[in-house]
Amino acid sequence: MKGNVIKYERDNIDTDVIIPGQYLKVHDYAELALHAMEGLDPDFHSKVKDGDFILSGRNFGCGSSREHAPIALSHSGIKAVLALSFARIFYRNAVDGAFLLPIEIEEDAYSDISEGDEIDIDIHTNEIKNLTKNKTYKMKPFSEIIGKIIEAGGLFKYKPD
Amino acid sequence: MGKTLFEKIWDAHIVVEKENSPSLIYIDRHLVHEVTSPQAFDGLRMNNRPVRRPDLTIATMDHNVPTNNRTLPILDQTSAVQIQTLEKNCKDFGIQLFDINSPNQGIVHVIGPQLGITLPGSTIVCGDSHTSTHGAFGALAFGIGTSEVEHVLASQTLWLEKPKPFEIRVEGKRKNPHAVTAKDIILSIIKNIGTSGGNGTVIEYRGEGISDLSMEQRMTICNMSIEAGARAGLIAPDEKTFEYLRGRKYTPKNYESLVNYWRNNLKTDSDAKFEKNYTLHIDDIAPQVSWGTNPGMTCDVTESIPSPEDFSKGDQNQKKGAEKALEYMALKPGTPIIEIKIDRVFIGSCTNARLEDLIEASKVVKGRKLSPHVRAMVVPGSQMVKKQAEELGLDKIFTDANFEWREAGCSMCLGMNPDILSPGERCASTSNRNFEGRQGTGGRTHLVSPVMAAAAAIEGHFVDVRDMDLN
Repeated sequence: MKGNVIKYERDNIDTDVIIPGQYLKVHDYAELALHAMEGLDPDFHSKVKDGDFILSGRNFGCGSSREHAPIALSHSGIKAVLALSFARIFYRNAVDGAFLLPIEIEEDAYSDISEGDEIDIDIHTNEIKNLTKNKTYKMKPFSEIIGKIIEAGGLFKYKPD
Repeated sequence: MGKTLFEKIWDAHIVVEKENSPSLIYIDRHLVHEVTSPQAFDGLRMNNRPVRRPDLTIATMDHNVPTNNRTLPILDQTSAVQIQTLEKNCKDFGIQLFDINSPNQGIVHVIGPQLGITLPGSTIVCGDSHTSTHGAFGALAFGIGTSEVEHVLASQTLWLEKPKPFEIRVEGKRKNPHAVTAKDIILSIIKNIGTSGGNGTVIEYRGEGISDLSMEQRMTICNMSIEAGARAGLIAPDEKTFEYLRGRKYTPKNYESLVNYWRNNLKTDSDAKFEKNYTLHIDDIAPQVSWGTNPGMTCDVTESIPSPEDFSKGDQNQKKGAEKALEYMALKPGTPIIEIKIDRVFIGSCTNARLEDLIEASKVVKGRKLSPHVRAMVVPGSQMVKKQAEELGLDKIFTDANFEWREAGCSMCLGMNPDILSPGERCASTSNRNFEGRQGTGGRTHLVSPVMAAAAAIEGHFVDVRDMDLN
């Protein structure tokens, strides 16, 4: 999975800035996408391209249980969020609805990858290749359940063994 | 080896468990509200599935309901549609709903305990992160997203990875428990362990500082567990818990035999092991005021705004976060907290809008007047809280002081209804999140206790409520 990186160098990107509360009444996903990241980066909508990734620090997606947060990102074209760590509800929401991949990375990838870098994520080898900088980083592998839900294409397609 | 309370509740709810696999966990109670449920019901319809246990599911509308005159139509059309959709979904699927005109309507985490729906030892979920509130009763309660809401509606179960038990001990006695409140205890904990300090864990709050608290104060503590990143927070039930739930509307008929079972079983064994431990000593803690844009950015009322360097202790991301927060909050390092002037006051939310909160705040307000440049609103957590408060004459105390006295709902905690801050307005708020734009685009939130909010409303700036007579 290849794409370019939009980097937010901070911790604690919360669901209120990913999609502000006033839009939780919006049911049209395309319209939700227009307001993704509005609380933090009003230019997000104009710069995001289909297939892009977000890179950020610790505790990404903290706060509310709103599934609108991964939905808004996903319908903006974001295929994966790479972060040092995730808040749990955001993480499960992203996976359960098969909206995007939440990828936990280490400090080396976080500090090394720059805004605009093209990267290639392989969730089978757990490797992230930085095609711009010609470097490779490890991602933390998904746990068994998360891997299986992702493989199935979401919580409702997952069938236990 | 013994088990923690969390592990006992978890084990009692396992439907399927295998080595190195997630567990299928049974859910005892599912609380539903208007914002995170519509797509879940759509999903059921699309797949022709019924709600498996409508009798274990309870709904109310709280997030976007207006808090002014309820006899008027709802002006915001999208809110009106969301509210009507919940009414239709509850009717179609046979779920009990406390609608906007019900005397039992209110914030879902306030009405659950008040109605006796929240029970010790049970598993409780809701499409809302502050579901952790119910942990105050020794329940395992946590927030879920809409896909999981649909999964629970369809199956009354969830696939979960087991969190780790985290012991937080609160030791000592507060010198002035009217001025230093449960809110100050939990803000102190988050300030110390950080907003991700509880990630992947279920916190059990223990110690004298916790058992001394009333049930409503314990709910304030557990409510904000999610702000420390924890999956849930809980407190072992004791006689206060059993007394609180006795004789409520939905308290089970065989209550006393349940109490006997809970009394003997719902506690952490003396030889149980926690994965993590933290202890807070509360003898000398001060009222807390958040200065930044997450609940960990908090300090004592007697302190000044920290510099990003001091706050971050060398962590670059923390430093950048603090710089951005100070810019957003329009605050300068070195400014004493008590010199910060405020424009708005919000006394409300699932954190601090229960009867005791309103009683404590009213003691500050009684016989005084709102600062002329401040607008203040009191939004009871439920219509029941509102009625009880009115029976005590609290509404009169607040309105005499020029505070607004409103109908129950989430209101300005999250800015989904018309109760919002204007850009640049600064608010002393008893809610749980000070995120950018949380209370309205450009709004600036300072998290405080109800007495601190009330005192700020009177004085027009933050004050140390330990200097006031609150008895």
